[in-house]
Parts: sequence; structure tokens; C-alpha cells
Amino acid sequence: MTTDAQPETARVAASPERYSAMAASPEFDGLRRSLRSFVFPMTVAFLAWYLLYVLLSAYARGFMGTKVLGNINVAFVFGILQFVSTFVIAWMYSRYADAKIDPVADRLRAELEAEAA
Amino acid sequence: MGNSPYALPAVVIVSLVTVAIGAYGVRLARTTGDFLVASRSVSPRWNAAAIGGEYLSAASFLGVAGLVMKYGVDMLWYPVGFAAGYLALQLFVAAPLRRSGAFTLPDFTEARLGSRALRRLAAAFVVFIGWLYLVPQLQGAGLTLGTVIGAPYWVGAVVVGAVVTVNVASGGMRSITFVQAFQYWLKLTAISFPVAFLLLAWQHDGRPELSPPDRPAFAAQTTVEIDTAVRATVVEPTVVTIAGTLDGVARDGQETLTAGTHEFGAGTRVTLPAGAAVPHVEGPAPPDGLRWLRPGSGDGQHELFGVYSLILATFLGTMGLPHVLVRFYTNPDGRAARRTTLVVLALLGAFYLFPTVYGALGRVYAPELLMTGRTDAVVLVLPGAAIGGVTGQVLAGLVAAGAFAAFLSTSSGLLVSVAGVLSTDVLGRGSMRAVRDFRIAALVAGLVPLFLALQVNGLDVSQVVGLAFAVAASSFCPLLVLGIWWRGLTWAGAAAGLVVGGGSAAAAVLVAVLGPPLEGWAAALVAQPAAWTVPLAFAVMIGVSLATRNRVPADVGRTMLRLHAPDSLLLRGRSPM
Repeated sequence: MTTDAQPETARVAASPERYSAMAASPEFDGLRRSLRSFVFPMTVAFLAWYLLYVLLSAYARGFMGTKVLGNINVAFVFGILQFVSTFVIAWMYSRYADAKIDPVADRLRAELEAEAA
Repeated sequence: MGNSPYALPAVVIVSLVTVAIGAYGVRLARTTGDFLVASRSVSPRWNAAAIGGEYLSAASFLGVAGLVMKYGVDMLWYPVGFAAGYLALQLFVAAPLRRSGAFTLPDFTEARLGSRALRRLAAAFVVFIGWLYLVPQLQGAGLTLGTVIGAPYWVGAVVVGAVVTVNVASGGMRSITFVQAFQYWLKLTAISFPVAFLLLAWQHDGRPELSPPDRPAFAAQTTVEIDTAVRATVVEPTVVTIAGTLDGVARDGQETLTAGTHEFGAGTRVTLPAGAAVPHVEGPAPPDGLRWLRPGSGDGQHELFGVYSLILATFLGTMGLPHVLVRFYTNPDGRAARRTTLVVLALLGAFYLFPTVYGALGRVYAPELLMTGRTDAVVLVLPGAAIGGVTGQVLAGLVAAGAFAAFLSTSSGLLVSVAGVLSTDVLGRGSMRAVRDFRIAALVAGLVPLFLALQVNGLDVSQVVGLAFAVAASSFCPLLVLGIWWRGLTWAGAAAGLVVGGGSAAAAVLVAVLGPPLEGWAAALVAQPAAWTVPLAFAVMIGVSLATRNRVPADVGRTMLRLHAPDSLLLRGRSPM
């Protein structure tokens, strides 16, 4: 009941064996590895940064209450930076996927199509 | 409190516009694809606004400002958790899930692991999580309408339940996308526009100190009406005029409140003089259900445990919320799914700046909320309190409309995903009757939580939402993460993990909602179960999968290729449905 992209399906008409071979190929493994090598360290870094904020809120309330400018205190700046860092990581991921993941996958696809033709 | 003559018309207009936009969408919705995933043709910008619309529930629109008012801006860690949940969703599941070609979570489960029984189990969890999240939305609507126009509790719940059910049943996902995108912008306008006026008023008043070094004080003589009995701590001896009950004794006239904790009965009116320090509520008695959110607010280790548990629940639970996930199936391709997340994070970040301002100014202009414990109402009350006059009332109407939009949009998204699963997995009579099935399912999916919401009044709204996150984090998060990233997952392992991990979290919910009141660690483990149920779910899923290694699906290589290779490959040898 898929409602889209039926013509594209017909275009890549490789046999099931080809899929299995492709899935086991070093290129495909490399594709997944390069994705993981971005995703996992980034997640750890982000969680550490986030926990730092929570721990400071819990145990360093004096420091968090320090005024930076007017009524703006460290806690507020920290909170805003948390949002910014979330966005920046998502943006970096988007760029990384466009630059490093998609080209490899496109090449894999070209190989599949060439063999199917 | 904060009654504005413009609040009722504003709420009525939001409801009517919601129905009207939904009706417009109906003309576009023809096929099952339209109903379930809007035919996967929603552009990232529309989709992101719709996601923002549905994700910013009342907990965000009202709750965050209340938390900031009560505990200070370090409470921003709570909304950061919501944004972080989106980041986790983006990094681990967004694009592969979109590529799986599935319509719903059960579809994904079956396509990946090839088991009908497991599919049923996943469907049951979608429905459970959906309803668990829907009940507090309907409750919140009842409470909000009570606050802004003094309507009885059931009115708000029934209005939201009815509007949303009719909309979803008639137009499905296609029309809901327009409705929710509209509601995001309405919510952003409703919360940001008054901020300009609030800041002007604050400037005009000579920028009173937001965090006075000693304590918040009443700027003018203030009469506080206590709706629900509350225990409040008086900072310094204060002479007040009181009518009602104080510490269990009926009083009427002048009294001197000694420093310390006093109990104010329901219906009591207290008039405090200008310059008096504001008494603040003592937790964790309701309606102060938010104390549990604050890091290190208590004396016990278990309080901090609750905070970390909630962080884990929001970080990992977002990816397992059916109404959030279903939106990622509506992207045209994996790249669009990534871009959608990016826009969502920008929209969420922009939104959360504003509740912070309300919370900070609330300490100056509506300090009585600290005494009644109704800090959740600060967004609704502040325009009237700080600005006053017709402008203040119009702005109060605007924020009431925004709050209502929050209930409507979150409920719509939940209803679409629950109805989608009910119609394909419970009714499921084939594509000939699919649209009719979807409509019947939407009716059932809407009526059940409405019935529940009318039965259980007085549940802590924010806590139940947190529990929904915890169940999602203990069931679908391990299923998705392992299903996408680990070849070795078997259907037996997945089923065992869902039953043990998700089941424990669900059991904790039932104990927390229906069971006897608990104390200390037992209460913390039940109220915020994610910290133990999520590792449990992962461990059981991995352990049982390793034990049943011979049952790894034969076509796992092909499925993995499809999940991880970009859409340009489009390996759709077999449709999942």
C-alpha cells in the first residue's frame, strides 16, 4: 500500500541476492561506520554538556545566579547555550550526512544499477 | 483570577478556525495515504511547524513559565530536555525510519522483524502511550478554561475532545498538518506579542528588580483567593485581613501571621499589605506538583534520582512518542527528514525564550501565584496583572487562545497516531474500507481518553506527561535503536524487551495513578521509572536476542541496506503493508 515512488522501484531491479551481497559489502559497512563515528561521540559529548548544566543547577546555585549583565545571570546564558548547542549539533549532522553519507550511498546505487542493467 | 472578557471569544475563534482549516484539508484527503501520512508529501517547513505545533503542549506553553517563576532560570534544563529528545531522534532514528517505508510503528516492527504477534504488541503500546498522553491534555484544557472564564472542569475537556475528534475523523493527517502548523504560529504569536508590552510596562515602572536580594514582595496591597487548600511558608510576621480558614480554624478579620508554615483552607481570601514578603507554597502537596522537577530541591537522594530519570525519559522518550514519530513518515525523503528536525529545533528554541520572560516578570507582577502555588497560570494572568486596562485584557485573550491551541494541536497529533494504529491493526479490513475504518478508529481513539479524563480529576498533569515519556523510552526507544543499529535483534528479543521494560514502566504508571501513596525511594522509583526501566528494556532485548540468535530474520541484510542507504537507492522489493 505504498503510495509513492513506484516508478523508482522499477528502476532499480536488482535481485534479492544482490541486496544481500551489497549489505555485506565493505562499502556498505563503511557507510554505516562513518555514520556511527559521528553519531555516537556526538551523543556522548552532548549528554556530558547537558549533565554539566543540570549538575551546576543542583549544586552550584550561587555560581548559576551570578549576574552577567543587568538581570541576565549565568543560568540563563547556560540555558540559551544548551538550545544553541542542540541546534548546532543537528546542523553539523545534516551537513555531515550531506557531505559524507549521501555521496557514498549514491555510488553504491550507481553500482547496483550498473549491474542490474 | 485573570478573567478577561476577550478570553471566551478568543477560545471560540481558535476552535472554529481549527475546524475550518481541518475542513479545508478534508477536500484534499482522499486516500489512506492522505489520512495516515499525508501521502508523504509534506515539505520540511510545513512539517516542522506542524511538529512544533504538536510538540509544544500545555506543559511547554504554561508549565515552563511557571517553573521559571518558581525556581529561577536554571529550570530551563526541562525544556532543553525536550529539544534534546529531538536531537536524539534526529541522530538515531529519523532518516532510517523514514526510509523503512512504514506508515506506523507497528509497520516498522513487522517490516524489520517479520512477526505479526510483535506487531500487535507494538500496536498495544502505541495506544497505551497515546492515551496516557491524551488524558492530561484534556484535563489541562478543563483546568485552563476554568481559570480564564470560570467554566466547569468538564467543558474544556469536552470541547477539546470533540473538536479534535471531528477534525481527525474527517481529514486525517493531511488536514491535521495544516491545523498544527497554524497552531504553532498562533502559539508563538500568542506568547511573543504580549512580551513586547510586558517589557514596556516593566520599563515604564522603572525596571523593578527581578530577583530582589531578600525576597519577593507585594508591590501593592493584594488580595489573594485560595482555590485549593494550601500550606504556605510565611517569611516574616505579617498583619493581614483574612476571611476563611487558617490552620484549620475559621477566621474573619485582622490577624498577624507568624513566621513559619500556615495552612490556608479552600475559599479563603487573604489581603496582604504593600511591601509584605510573599509567602510561598510548601511542596509537594498538590497543586504544587512541579517541585519534583527541580534539581536538588529536596533533602533526599531520591529527589535527584527523579530529575535524572526524567532527563533520561525526555531524551530517549521523544523518539518513542507515536505522534512525534508519525510526522517523520510524512517527509518525502530521509534528507527532508533531517532538514525537518533542524527547523523544529530552531522553532522550539525560539519559542522557549518567551516563557522565561513571563516567569521572570511574574515574580514582580503576580507574586500571589507563589503563595497559591498556581504558578502554572502565570502566562494567563500576567498580561492582565502587569498591563491592565483594555490592552491587558486583549492580550490575556490572546494568551488564552494560545494555551487552547496548545491543547488542540497536541491532542490532534496523538489522536491521528492512535487512530492510525487502531484502524490498521484492530479493525484492519483491507484498503477498500480503510478510510471508513480510520474514521471509526478516530472516534474510539478520542472518546476513550475523554471518558477517562472526566473520571480522574486531580491527576498531576505534568507528571502524567512525564510518565508517558518514560513508557515510550522503555518500549519503542530500545526497539527503534536496536532495530536500526543492530543486526542481531530477533523478534523474540524485541517482544521480551517490550513486555519486561515497557511493561514495568506501564505498571509503574498504574501504581502512580491508581495505587496508594508511597514514600521515599519507592515513590521515586514509581514516579520517575525511566532510570531503571530503560536499561532493563535494553538488557532484556539484547540478552534474549543473543539467546535466540538462530531466529535473526533471513532478510536482515536487505532490511538494513534499506534503512541505511539513502533514498536514492529505494530498495522496495517488498512493501511492508
